[in-house]
Amino acid sequence: MAPLIKDELFVTTAGGATNEWNAVRPSDGNIQVKTLGLCSSIGLGLAIALPKRKIFVFDGDGALWMNLGSLATIGLHQPKNLIHICWDNKQYESSGGEPTVATAGNIDFAGIARNAGIISSRSANTVEELKEAVAHALNNDGPHFICANIEAGRAEAPPLKYDELENKYHFIRYIEETEGVSILRIPQSASYLLK
Amino acid sequence: MGTIAGAQNILAGLKGAGIDLVSSVPDINMLELINLLYQDKEIAHVPVGREEEGIGVCTGAHLGGKRPAMLMQNGGLLNSCNGLTTTALQFGIPVLLLIYYAGDIGDNAFHMVGLVTEPVLDALGIKTIVMRDPAKVKQDIAGAVTLASSSKRPVALLLTRAVL
Repeated sequence: MAPLIKDELFVTTAGGATNEWNAVRPSDGNIQVKTLGLCSSIGLGLAIALPKRKIFVFDGDGALWMNLGSLATIGLHQPKNLIHICWDNKQYESSGGEPTVATAGNIDFAGIARNAGIISSRSANTVEELKEAVAHALNNDGPHFICANIEAGRAEAPPLKYDELENKYHFIRYIEETEGVSILRIPQSASYLLK
Repeated sequence: MGTIAGAQNILAGLKGAGIDLVSSVPDINMLELINLLYQDKEIAHVPVGREEEGIGVCTGAHLGGKRPAMLMQNGGLLNSCNGLTTTALQFGIPVLLLIYYAGDIGDNAFHMVGLVTEPVLDALGIKTIVMRDPAKVKQDIAGAVTLASSSKRPVALLLTRAVL
């Protein structure tokens, strides 16, 4: 899907998805997440703050299980610009491969998302289906949810260039430049103002 | 339930401090304030189902240029400790935490939550003001937002019934 991407912002879950995506699409428009499950909520906040920008969330089946309620919250607020992809490899791969709620095959994440009010919700089982789903999400109002059913297995990916603080600063500066806004607003020191 | 005057005072304080997004989980003592937030046109109101989600929403909102606050009960503060630690503190995110202080002195319920609230905030290294004087509400909110912004950290205001 990387060739479909331009200046969209990416919020990537704690785990392998962050390293692998940064290897495929190195950009200051990617922000890593360190709290398992919180990527979908951070993506929602970003989508509300920047309603004209497309926001991707890369979730995992273990992470989504931890914050399943975020689907209901996204369904409530209906951010048109949010594209939430769950990379479902049916295990906690970064934790050593323990089973998740998805391992037994009973759960239908896309069905849960749809019934939470995320009408544009689908599963993708092949690379072609994934590309089609992402293209649809990029060209239509959302919110969108895509459950990408994938095989377990790690790709070779270099370590991240930035720790979380440097990542945050680069990410915010990237948004400031591309949106033409001021976010960090470094305050002038009081001693300077007195002169 | 709180009073309408108390809620209006807090809302005016939030606007004066530049807060433009509030994520919330309700408490009966913040009913009037939450009702005002639902009606308000200037502040984006983002109700969430669980408080840790709200820490995520506030983080994303800050990254996108908003000045966020999280409104919750202190039980919700306990629900959001990992998000506060590994997202808000670890990434250096300024978030105003507006926390109803259940189990405060004089309260006949929630005493256990009340007992651990200030020690937990202290352990997290989150600067905290206990708000007991309605006359200082605007000043405390403005000061907390300034400190959150300059320190790039969450700052907590514990809302007692005296100010609501």
